[in-house]
Amino acid sequence: MTPYTGSWTASEAAHLLRRCTFGATYTDIQNAVNLGLSQTLNQLFIAAPIDEPLAYDPAEQIVNLGETWVNAVYPQDQTANIQTEGARMKSLAAWLAKNLNQESLSLTEKMQFFWQNHFGVTTSGDARAMYYFLQLLRQHALGNIKQLVKDVTIDPCMLLFLNGSTNTVFSPNENYGRELLELFTVGKGAQLAAGDYGTFTEQDVAAAAKIFTGYIVQGVRSATLPQVTSQFMAPLHDNTSKTLSYHFANQTIMAAGALEYANYIDVVFNQPDTAKYICRKLYRYFVNHDITAWVEQNIITDMALTFTANNFEVAPVLQELLSSAHFYDISVRGAIIRSPLETLCAMLNTSNTVANFDLQTTYQIYLSMYGLADQMGQGYATPPSVAGWTPYYQAPAFYRLWINSTYIKKRFDVASLLTSNFYNVNGNVFKIKVVDLLNGLSAPASAPQVIDDLCLLLFPKDVPATDKLLLKNILTNGLPDFEWTLQYNEYLADPTNPVFFNPVELRMQAVLNVMFKMPQFHVC
Amino acid sequence: MKRRSFLRNGALASLSLPFVQNGFSMQAIAKKLFDVPKSAEDKVLILIRMNGGNDGLNMIFPRDQYAELLVQRANILVPESQILPLTAEVGLHPKMTGMQTMFNEGKLSVIQNVGYPEPNRSHFRSMDIWTTGALDINQTSGWLGRYFDSAYPNFPDAYPNLDFPDPFAISMGSEVSSTCQGLMGNFSHAVSDPFNSSNLLLTSVTNDGTYYGGQIEYISTLINQTNEYGQQISSAASAGNSLSNLYDPQNSLAVQLKYIAQMISGGLQTKVYILNVNGFDTHDSQVDQNNLQEGVHADLLKRISDAVRAFQHDLQLLGLEQRVAGLTFSEFGRQIASNGSMGTDHGDAAPIILFGSCISNGIIGPNPQIPNQVNNQAGLPMQIDFRDVYASLLKDWFEVDPNTIQSLFEQNINYYDLLQGCTNAIDEAAPDTLAALVYPNPSLGQHQLKFYAQSEYYQVYLVDQSGKILRKVLDQHLKQGQQILAFEIQHLAPGMYHYLIRSNEIQKLVSFQKL
Repeated sequence: MTPYTGSWTASEAAHLLRRCTFGATYTDIQNAVNLGLSQTLNQLFIAAPIDEPLAYDPAEQIVNLGETWVNAVYPQDQTANIQTEGARMKSLAAWLAKNLNQESLSLTEKMQFFWQNHFGVTTSGDARAMYYFLQLLRQHALGNIKQLVKDVTIDPCMLLFLNGSTNTVFSPNENYGRELLELFTVGKGAQLAAGDYGTFTEQDVAAAAKIFTGYIVQGVRSATLPQVTSQFMAPLHDNTSKTLSYHFANQTIMAAGALEYANYIDVVFNQPDTAKYICRKLYRYFVNHDITAWVEQNIITDMALTFTANNFEVAPVLQELLSSAHFYDISVRGAIIRSPLETLCAMLNTSNTVANFDLQTTYQIYLSMYGLADQMGQGYATPPSVAGWTPYYQAPAFYRLWINSTYIKKRFDVASLLTSNFYNVNGNVFKIKVVDLLNGLSAPASAPQVIDDLCLLLFPKDVPATDKLLLKNILTNGLPDFEWTLQYNEYLADPTNPVFFNPVELRMQAVLNVMFKMPQFHVC
Repeated sequence: MKRRSFLRNGALASLSLPFVQNGFSMQAIAKKLFDVPKSAEDKVLILIRMNGGNDGLNMIFPRDQYAELLVQRANILVPESQILPLTAEVGLHPKMTGMQTMFNEGKLSVIQNVGYPEPNRSHFRSMDIWTTGALDINQTSGWLGRYFDSAYPNFPDAYPNLDFPDPFAISMGSEVSSTCQGLMGNFSHAVSDPFNSSNLLLTSVTNDGTYYGGQIEYISTLINQTNEYGQQISSAASAGNSLSNLYDPQNSLAVQLKYIAQMISGGLQTKVYILNVNGFDTHDSQVDQNNLQEGVHADLLKRISDAVRAFQHDLQLLGLEQRVAGLTFSEFGRQIASNGSMGTDHGDAAPIILFGSCISNGIIGPNPQIPNQVNNQAGLPMQIDFRDVYASLLKDWFEVDPNTIQSLFEQNINYYDLLQGCTNAIDEAAPDTLAALVYPNPSLGQHQLKFYAQSEYYQVYLVDQSGKILRKVLDQHLKQGQQILAFEIQHLAPGMYHYLIRSNEIQKLVSFQKL
């Protein structure tokens, strides 16, 4: 793949950070400019640690509030058991939103979500199982994807989700085997005949089902087991040899008990289609929905080669893609419509706005953030199907499916809410820290420069001068530029005095309220 | 001009009733007349923001203190002979001939020395005070937003709906107005051009042929299609009308007010329209050095005066005058003394102009007192609190319950009689059999009594304030339609009087003041 050798300015740095994170600050962009492409990329590949989700909802009946529940049993009593699960799922959802909002400058969150979409798993009825599944995605988010697929295959959450836990020699269940091939690895090709999907056949689905037999899941909402676990039960496993279709050169998978699933996944990853299928999804996630013949030939092919050559480590693939000439090509800048989570986080993370109140308030705010994204069409823990969210795969509209009449209104409502002073939780106002954002810009006292900087921060391409003028007039409240300078300097001289702070805040809120509702904000 | 006062809820109690004559109860009539009219729902309020701090002393002149003004601001002071008289004491800037006409027609009020305690001369902070309607630094909802919240508590989730298909407020331009910020959303909808149903906040979304261009074009289209109010607004504007030839197409405020006339006449149920005029921050060269009644400030005043006059004329022709009232406001006035740059610096109180055919009074409040010595940086002290003006508007115009109004404001409200001039008025566009109007009112030598008659036998009596019938002024069968009866009243002593109009079907009371 041709590496990018062009100039490295704020425009390119902002493009990279917009695509790789849920929202970088103006300072992050400037730092990236100074660091250069290569060092910035290195930074993005550093995995980011996170804390465990904590109990905050009084319905939790086992652990104390403020402690984690991820290794805690459930109450024996059925009602209390269900209430506790409710409290834990709320905690988990809030925690997911918190992680996105408080991400470090790393690809970790973005890639964790990529795999969440890839496997399309929803809750298994036990918040602990969902938590550990998400942790598995995080652990391998930038790592070895063959290993990730192996681990996911026997993960309790996945075994519950796609019926692996009831797939036995006595009653094979094809659900996981089919989705593994169709959605997680080789992908579905053009249908060649009845039962032949171009990359696999019904014979392969049946074989896969048999290969995966024998796993059971224990501990779901158990009053005695602190974790949900999967376990291989040899008597439930199909010990015959399984013959694959011609797509797999009619290979035979020999009976190998608890090792068999891994052997099979090695075979599946040896299929060139697997690397290509995953690389196309990565391309759509990071670059553009449109995989033209040129892109297929020049980009996807190279990505797949790199993926295979590196034994399915994903980091080298992304390294190559994110430093390629194609990634920075002007034709793909701003080509992606921001997903709801990206939209919400772009409003918050660009100003480093985080909820930092007492535990309950903080979690309630993050739960509500989770809910806002859900109402805009993207509930992190509940993909609409095992295929993930349609905008990532549904041709020809792709990302445009994020925008419809309901969702656009919701996006605008969220913009209004977050740029007001009225989002009140337990007496704490949560709002975008617009003045911090302003202070981080290159020349906050200069109204035209503030607008230039905000456009760089929030929009993928520069907007026309007439729009900038209108935005500037909102910032200055229609006054000459020097009045803004005076007002800002008065605030600087006495920054905690609300008489100076509040007007500056209000003007910034007004500008962001408008910018968040411009079409340009909704692409990245 | 003396203070007018009309019979209305509170005022009624102060009259020396009982009002019993010839076997019918005047109180019964009064009740019918003075019940809260449904028409409050149709009332429209126009707010014109004079952005930057309007030099009130170069707009409304205390004619009785011209000599003192010369001491303070000789380098910018309009020649005395050029000032347009409103009363013996009060005059208008010479460019404001339109508003002078309106004043003479009884359609313009001046509220003098409006401000707030402990003035803040920062544009930003002071404008926030005016838009929130509160001195409390922590108040961030707008004064109209709080009113709307009290009336429509589920906004924005439950709106628009079948009963309320239109925006509650429209802010002309690209920014929603802080006056309308409510708890969960802003009640105003930004409209640049009502004929373009596109709700794009800014202008230019062009598809540059790239993926990016395609995406933002797509999103723009969606925003358009889902703009809940855009279609309502453009339909109303298209269905609406504008009849006045006084609008100057070069005058941006006039263009916007014409849009508003079209939206109102087209049936839009929006209650508040907010307009903005920039440029009042006249620190230097606010007048033309060689011609002190010309210059930047004069142009701004002319623009507003001409535009409002055209708008009022249009409303009159459209039969909408009694539904619409408006006022100007600015974040502060300017200092009494001019500066060396032929300009004025940030000051304190300033006059508000109130307009509409339903105004109660001509001049409200005494002239400012101009000292005869220059006191550096002195502004005009506040005499009328702008929050009381807002509260009075809500009471007079939207007929909001006083308890509710008090809950919206931090101060103990002093009400002013601002917009009670149409209480018993006739809506000429839609004849109301219960409405009657004396014009002009107050009146001196003669006036007209207008009312809408059915084909019936009518008697009209002149009644004094004690309820005593002075004489019968009409006793005959009338044809159905608008009646205009002219009366000489020169011989009446100054004071309050009423016409009692009765037929077999109806009894009406209409009040007037003899000057």
